[in-house]
Amino acid sequence: QHFRGRKNRCYKLAVRSVRRAFVRSTKARREKKRFLRALWITRIEAASLEHGLKYPAFISNLLKSQVELNRKVLADLAIYEPKTFKSLAALAQRRRQEGFLAALGDGKEPEGIFSRIVHHH
Amino acid sequence: VAKTSLTSPPWPEVKLPDPVEEAKYHAEVVRKVNGLISAGHYGRLFAVVHFASKQWKITSEDLIMMDNVLGAECGDRIRMEKVLLVGADDFTLIGRPLLGKDLVRVEATVIEKTESWPKVNMRFWRRHNFQRKKIITNPQTVLRINTIEIYPCLS
Repeated sequence: QHFRGRKNRCYKLAVRSVRRAFVRSTKARREKKRFLRALWITRIEAASLEHGLKYPAFISNLLKSQVELNRKVLADLAIYEPKTFKSLAALAQRRRQEGFLAALGDGKEPEGIFSRIVHHH
Repeated sequence: VAKTSLTSPPWPEVKLPDPVEEAKYHAEVVRKVNGLISAGHYGRLFAVVHFASKQWKITSEDLIMMDNVLGAECGDRIRMEKVLLVGADDFTLIGRPLLGKDLVRVEATVIEKTESWPKVNMRFWRRHNFQRKKIITNPQTVLRINTIEIYPCLS
């Protein structure tokens, strides 16, 4: 901060470094959003792993059960409200199991298909 | 049919609990929570509110600053609808996605309407003699959340 070396004393060098500092701050303002979102995602992943769920499973099941909380709020809940986060993880787990059961279907084999086992002697 | 790698699904087999018993359990839980709310056995309430295209986790006596202008003067009371989640120590009410307006009530007052600190927006291409400098001050409003109330109208 406030520039190292002759950049904080000499006008010509200072002009160049201040200009670069302004440009870098404008670009960083756009990248701060990406960085913060990645941070929230890592935090939510850690918290959901503590409850035995992986992050993609957690998020997709929450969205499928129509709970639209964004990552910032989920990260804050994981830090300050552990019980609420546990209940959300349980909700996601239950929705995941219901999805598995729905994907399995009736458990019968489709019609018109026969299975044949080949024996090699 | 012989057992191959594809006969059983890769996830472990899970059985869901009985729907009749589940319905009884759900009704019992709803009655308990209603009893807690009507008796007032909760401490501090927190809520997740969707406001100004952002989601906020708020409690009572909270300050919130947003980067835009509301159509309200200083000292106006505002009621926030679009509540996503309400929780206390022992129970939370999760909305799908929103909670009903007859369940939760979030009140806030507008305290300040200021501008942000002057941010410098500069673009520069080297060797092309291109330099633009602009100072941006965004208007900001500061709200204080007064109260969050819940009413025992669960079903």
